[in-house]
Amino acid sequence: MITFNCTIQEGIIPGDLRPALASELARISTGILGGDPNDVSVQWIEVPHGFGFRGGELSTTSAVRGEIPPGCDQETRVRLMQTIQDRWMELTGCTTAELVVSARDRREN
Amino acid sequence: MPYYRCIIPKDALSFEQRQDIARAFTDIHCDSTGAPRSFVSVAFFETSDGEQPEFGSEYYLDGGNRAGRSEEVKQQLLADLTNAFSDIAGVPAEQIPGRIRENPASWTMEGGFVLPEPGQEGPEWYAEVAAAAAD
Repeated sequence: MITFNCTIQEGIIPGDLRPALASELARISTGILGGDPNDVSVQWIEVPHGFGFRGGELSTTSAVRGEIPPGCDQETRVRLMQTIQDRWMELTGCTTAELVVSARDRREN
Repeated sequence: MPYYRCIIPKDALSFEQRQDIARAFTDIHCDSTGAPRSFVSVAFFETSDGEQPEFGSEYYLDGGNRAGRSEEVKQQLLADLTNAFSDIAGVPAEQIPGRIRENPASWTMEGGFVLPEPGQEGPEWYAEVAAAAAD
């Protein structure tokens, strides 16, 4: 199971763009790690205007936090993060400074 | 990478208080770790009326940082953040529990770069980060 929590600032990512972003996260992650895109879960967390800051100023940064099956080698992990970053920037028009992408190992319970 | 999530009651803090806390957290984190200011994110999440607080407390500081710092540094960082929040919000520090979770730096890409481990940044990395931020 692959999951993504996408924390975005209010007004930065239009609502009608989210399905395409979620679809791309599922396509990219399963294309690199394997699995079924339908099993990928994408959650959206919108930070209201005036509630998100970066460097002490109002933030326009999006954070895409992935949780992937443990055991991924670093080369594959970097390829996953880089591909997500490139596609997210392409779809949203944001800059590298406005995006954080992580791919952490899922903690087994 | 440093991301501080502040859980607060609905309408508990004004915009000015939130911004003051975000700036104080940025100062504290950067003074403690040497991280670039632009890397420090702070977000506030209000608990809705009647909603059970996520951590069982009205206020909670939930931090996420790169792994690799000593326990002493982490505890001092959390104490300094808690005290700053307490001073600005007017809430006793004892009522503001919190934690700092850690993940390997290599699991995060920020500003277009995979993060180096704490202490491994080097002048070239800072220069690259500054150049990316200026684009």
